[in-house]
Amino acid sequence: MLSSILSTLFTMRFLLTIIRMATPILFAALGAFIAASTGIGNIAIESIMTFAALAGVLGSYLTGSAWAGVVFGMVVGVLTVMLIAFFSMKLGADAFLIMIALNTFADAVAIFILYQITGDKGTTASLTTPILGSVDIPVIKDIPIIGEILSGHYILTYLCWLLIIVMFIVIYKTPLGMRMRACGLNADAAKTAGVNVERLQVLSLVLSGIFAALGGVYLSLNYLKIFSKGMVSGQGWMGVAANGIANGNYWMLVLSGLVFAVFRAVSIIFSSNSAFPTDLVGAIPYFSVFVILTVVSIVNYYRVKRGKVEGQ
Amino acid sequence: MTDNKNSKYSKNYKLSISNPKIFDAIKMLISILIALAITFVILCLVSSDPVNAIITILTGPLTKTRYIGAVIESFIPYAFAGLAAGVLFSAGAFNLGAEGIYILSGAVVTAVAITPLTESSILHPILCYLAAMAFGGTLMILPSFLKAKFGTNEMVVSLMLNSIYAGIAAYVVRNYLGTLKRGGNSSKDYLATAKIPYIYDPLHITICFILLIVVTIILYLVMKKSRLGYQIRLAGTNPKFAEYSGISAFKLAISTAAIAGVLSGMGATTALLTQTTFYTPSQSLVGIGFSGMLMSMLGRNNPIGIVIAAFMIKYLEQGTAILYFVDNSVPSEIVAIVEGIIIMLISSQHFLRRFREKKLLKEGLEEHAE
Repeated sequence: MLSSILSTLFTMRFLLTIIRMATPILFAALGAFIAASTGIGNIAIESIMTFAALAGVLGSYLTGSAWAGVVFGMVVGVLTVMLIAFFSMKLGADAFLIMIALNTFADAVAIFILYQITGDKGTTASLTTPILGSVDIPVIKDIPIIGEILSGHYILTYLCWLLIIVMFIVIYKTPLGMRMRACGLNADAAKTAGVNVERLQVLSLVLSGIFAALGGVYLSLNYLKIFSKGMVSGQGWMGVAANGIANGNYWMLVLSGLVFAVFRAVSIIFSSNSAFPTDLVGAIPYFSVFVILTVVSIVNYYRVKRGKVEGQ
Repeated sequence: MTDNKNSKYSKNYKLSISNPKIFDAIKMLISILIALAITFVILCLVSSDPVNAIITILTGPLTKTRYIGAVIESFIPYAFAGLAAGVLFSAGAFNLGAEGIYILSGAVVTAVAITPLTESSILHPILCYLAAMAFGGTLMILPSFLKAKFGTNEMVVSLMLNSIYAGIAAYVVRNYLGTLKRGGNSSKDYLATAKIPYIYDPLHITICFILLIVVTIILYLVMKKSRLGYQIRLAGTNPKFAEYSGISAFKLAISTAAIAGVLSGMGATTALLTQTTFYTPSQSLVGIGFSGMLMSMLGRNNPIGIVIAAFMIKYLEQGTAILYFVDNSVPSEIVAIVEGIIIMLISSQHFLRRFREKKLLKEGLEEHAE
């Protein structure tokens, strides 16, 4: 039995599952990272993904165009972060509390809207909506193995990897990125050097909202092709966790996102095998995040203690 | 909290807006009114009879004793969750683990409640409580310990643990406490000795209601009058200062988490022994721990405020549930919108500040003229 499990783990299908699973987590991670680069902890990623996933389907349904749905989702993502920015920056509320509150009632608000439009509290299955498809890359798709790995993915998966490269260049190779990182490292020093800290923080929040929204839209318009209650199921938090593990290291962020995706894929493969208890198998991805995050923080703690790295 | 520095001005103006307590009350009232106004606008959009709808939401639960009884019965576990979150938030700890503690200690309560440990119908519920409180108190410490010792992100850890605990609870109930009678997802029926009876039947009042009041008063005294409470609040408002004044952040993190865990265990036991006769991990206690955080924000971390907030929210939910019978265009999720608006407004320190400052300035000038 073990050999049959192992054999499924080393197949092309498993690799492709990982790539599909990684997309929303990487979008979320990118969102958490860009906000953290200017010193803002965006923990509302999960709720932004929920709102955007719903808005994406509804936008696509109302306009008849899946890309309009994507734009709808992004607009809702930006509106959500603007709401957070308004309450925390203008009205002096604790941003963490506002974001915790948002996460807590995101599902209920989504269900309320869903019910008004479809009369159903569970999914948008009753709506016929245009969705986004997959892309076959010409020439590359005909190469054996490599073609199978690189071609035929969902369109937003390609956008995700493109954004990962673009954001690396923006954050580390442009003056704008340098200013943003300066805000994150020491906002007062950045301010003294003439950087408009607040504006950059709002910019990074908006970008963060857009990335998180793309993660949500990927789930509802590309991957599952409907919105269903509770569909984000912690993937936004995995992005936040990946950002915590990365601690400012960009490629570590991407790596952690991929590792979490591996565990999600493992969980899905195990759950199709009745020999394993489904209740526990479903918790594997969360358990992996818990263990990895804890181990990384313990290792960091002892490295700082031994004086190998300067503590903060 | 931040308004306290103005308290020396408040002595002369007991009934004016410059009194921080009165200002807080006014702010709360205006927040609620704004939330209700927005709710009314939403009702106008979705319901054919919005005026009747909002009247039903606000007065519906008072129309029958069993309605208000349902509110009294259901708000108690939420109040406990709110108290748990309030202790953690007061200490500035973002351990969001109450949800998972509720669900997993539900399995512990169930294990005790289906085992014939004792003939006594007084001792059996007490054993359920003690088991869940000990279990909850211990488990809640984990994220706070990791945060205090190694700096692990407690919010993410506690959320991941919530999902892990939910999986474990489902597994344990299915394989060890379950019965095939209910499709394998639910536990066996609780023994009659474990059930908590009503003291006053029409209003569904049980001994748990008194327990909640006692716990709330004790917690209020601990938070406001005791050394521990002072240390918790200091650590929450100014962690650096707390550290320099010799308060051990580590000990404080552990003790607040333990208190919150014990309260969560109490809430889970209350919910199960008063409202159900068996446990379904995917349904029975889901969402209570998370709602507790909202109750805590509404009650501004004040134990008495939290209990009132929990009652208010469950009252509104009952109101919308009644409305849903009459007019099914308005689902009960609308309460989340009301909650959300109130929370955002009352946690905004600058909301109405300019209005208050103008008043203060005017009063100051008048005093000066005299």
